[in-house]
Amino acid sequence: MTARRPRLVWSILVHVGLVVLAAAVLYPVMLVCKKALEPGRQFALSASPIPSDVTAEHFVELFTSRGASGELLFLHHALNSVLVSLLTTVVGVALSCTAAYALSRFRFPGRQTGLGMFMVVQMFPATLLLLPLYVILDRLGLLNSIAGLVLVYSTTAIPFCVWTLKGYFDSLPRELEEAARIDGASPWMIFRKIILPLARPGIAVTALFSFMTAWNEFIMASTFMTDQTKYTLPVLIQSTVTEFSADWGLFAAGAVVTSVPVMIAFYVLQRYLVGGLTAGAVKG
Amino acid sequence: MTTVGRQLRDFAVGAVLAVLIATIAFVAVRNQELAARQTELATRAATGIAEGRPLPDVHAVLVGAPKPSPTRPYLRQRRVLEGDAWRPLVAGGGPDDKLIYDAANRYDQLAARGERRATSRVVSASAARDPRRAQAAPPEPDAWSPPWPAAIAPGFAELLPDGSGRAVAVAPVTSAPTYQLAIAVTPPARPAPYPLLVMIGLLGLGAALAAAGALIAPRGLAARAAFALGIAVLAIPCVLWQAWTGATAILVVAAGLALAQHARLTDRITAGLRRHRTALGFLAPAAVSMLVLVAAPFLIGLVIGFYDHHHGQWSFVGLSNFGEILSGGGRALDDPLNFWFILGVTVLWTAANVFFHVAIGVALALVLSQSWLRGRGVFRMLLIVPWAVPNYITALIWKGMFTGEYGAINSLLHAAGLDGVSWFSSWATAFAANVATNTWLGFPFMMVVALGALESIPKELYEAASVDGASAWQRFRHITLPHLRPALGPAIALGSIWTFNMFNVIFLVSGGKPGGATNTLVVDAYRWAFERGERYGMAAAYGTIIFLILLLWTVFGTRIVRRKEAP
Repeated sequence: MTARRPRLVWSILVHVGLVVLAAAVLYPVMLVCKKALEPGRQFALSASPIPSDVTAEHFVELFTSRGASGELLFLHHALNSVLVSLLTTVVGVALSCTAAYALSRFRFPGRQTGLGMFMVVQMFPATLLLLPLYVILDRLGLLNSIAGLVLVYSTTAIPFCVWTLKGYFDSLPRELEEAARIDGASPWMIFRKIILPLARPGIAVTALFSFMTAWNEFIMASTFMTDQTKYTLPVLIQSTVTEFSADWGLFAAGAVVTSVPVMIAFYVLQRYLVGGLTAGAVKG
Repeated sequence: MTTVGRQLRDFAVGAVLAVLIATIAFVAVRNQELAARQTELATRAATGIAEGRPLPDVHAVLVGAPKPSPTRPYLRQRRVLEGDAWRPLVAGGGPDDKLIYDAANRYDQLAARGERRATSRVVSASAARDPRRAQAAPPEPDAWSPPWPAAIAPGFAELLPDGSGRAVAVAPVTSAPTYQLAIAVTPPARPAPYPLLVMIGLLGLGAALAAAGALIAPRGLAARAAFALGIAVLAIPCVLWQAWTGATAILVVAAGLALAQHARLTDRITAGLRRHRTALGFLAPAAVSMLVLVAAPFLIGLVIGFYDHHHGQWSFVGLSNFGEILSGGGRALDDPLNFWFILGVTVLWTAANVFFHVAIGVALALVLSQSWLRGRGVFRMLLIVPWAVPNYITALIWKGMFTGEYGAINSLLHAAGLDGVSWFSSWATAFAANVATNTWLGFPFMMVVALGALESIPKELYEAASVDGASAWQRFRHITLPHLRPALGPAIALGSIWTFNMFNVIFLVSGGKPGGATNTLVVDAYRWAFERGERYGMAAAYGTIIFLILLLWTVFGTRIVRRKEAP
């Protein structure tokens, strides 16, 4: 905003305030890291975020405990989750890119309605869809299958992705496309050779959101996957801290390992976050 | 395109619809036939074995009483009489053992419910026992008597839902000295094959009729009549199967399309499709998948709201689910199960969260956008950490922090010289715990959106304002705020919808404690479906109401935002 420097006292106060706030924001994260390193299954017996004793036992247990059929529990479910999330990202982004391009660049009857519908479906409570989806997936033979979960997650992610991408496409200049059209490029060629490369930041953000949708979801995963070996990571991790038996050490180790890849992706893409999210909103 | 070509194009559209309707009608009719035939066969076999006259080709057995397993009391052990000896009924022990076991358990559930309802029938059923039958089958040794009299429920027969076309029937053996069930499983049966040749023939006939009409009178009434007739021909099989609804539907389609054709609607639609085929092609994949996996379940969900699901039985109840919900189910207004109470909690939850998200997010964005701030990048990185952490993990962490006398939050309070709080035993503190968790989780989104909007404000505006002598507050009021609004409006609309529908935080942090008082509408809907006896109808009705509330909110909410933008 303004380039003018405020008074020194005010500047110090703001800096101190931000440090305190950042510490408060990081506190829960540090508690989990502490718990993952500290021995014992209890959550926290002190407020200090510094571990009193360091051990790798939770991580060892996480990576070595085996399920009923002898598979390495964590790695097995991590593989499920990686597969589901990557496929969701690919399917979700592919479907939203094309749809967003159509909504951004073409004028056709029903366009406004279509845009509105993509907003309205955000309002469908997941619990309303849970049961019918169960029936539909059952009929399609997709219950207990990764394909079923991928389809459901992609369609959950599409509305938000379409809106974000449409906004991004709107902000791209049209001159290049017009030039290409005059040179005789087909719409598909323009989309692939001009729009997609230009929209990379927006697509990156959408991909991240699709990935996070799938990586973080647990209600549908626990409903549609009745076979325990097909569980995704969230279901596994949630099951370590139920009402009846809570192993917070194991949970914390699992939480750290699960969050790290998402956080890495998040920070790699975070410089695009601001532009990708707001391009559409600002331009209206 | 020639007249005949156009006529055939319209006919193709109508024929696709008509064949679809005819096929649905056909499947329904033949499934009904199959079900009737197979259940009748199963019933005869079951009553037959009960009377000592087994039918050939149908697998029918007598099953003994359920006995609680000594090691796991919730498991029931049963025995089955096959040939002349009783053997344990276990999955894999014999053909259909699992089916038979499940059918027997269903009968027991029905009987247990019937016990309360029809005590008079118990008497008549036990009076009807026939002592002559006792010798025909060897009695089950040391039979366990279930806590309800045998033969209390009338027995049932149904088609197995596995698509194999088999049926199972259960009949109580009223003449046996102890509890015994006769259970029969029919061999699989194939439903009648689809009359493919008939349908192809009719399609050809219809097409010929439509084309002939177009040749005789290219634009006249005859063409329309022949067109309608061509489609109507496809209703013939429905009439033969006595599927009157199907036949009527096809006739309506025929008449409707003929009218549309007359009004040149079909020509215009085709032209529109052709003109916009690129756009529609790009849109199609997403649209189709949304239709199948979002719109279809949504419609099914709406319909389910008019049904009641109770112990595996569906029944149409009209608006009574909605009535029960909206009237609060006869509960007091401060009862945590009363809809209006939950709605109040949900609105409060949404308002509190959105307020904190926006207030904290915008305040931080304003500070972080100051160019004199040191370490802006670092602060921004640190402050969006909560967004990157999976939200179910966040919820569980905060639950852990709030739980227990020595949880992290209480330890902090102790360190500050305050007393610990039992967070989940009173409404206010449990609600505060939920809101704190969700605020932590959600403010980075608003911060990032606001940062984006602030970055798009041209610096010249502030410089010009400063030159003109505008105060800091005036600059904020007249430059910053108007630029923030278009970005924040949609973000707030979206954020309020997400918060309203937020499930993980409430379900995992407070879990509705104390006594369900912190449940929001979505959590309560989930509990109706999965924790209160599978009342799917109630859950779906809740879902419908939630959707309507959000729809109203968006329609009026965006209107308010727009009105503010106008001047």
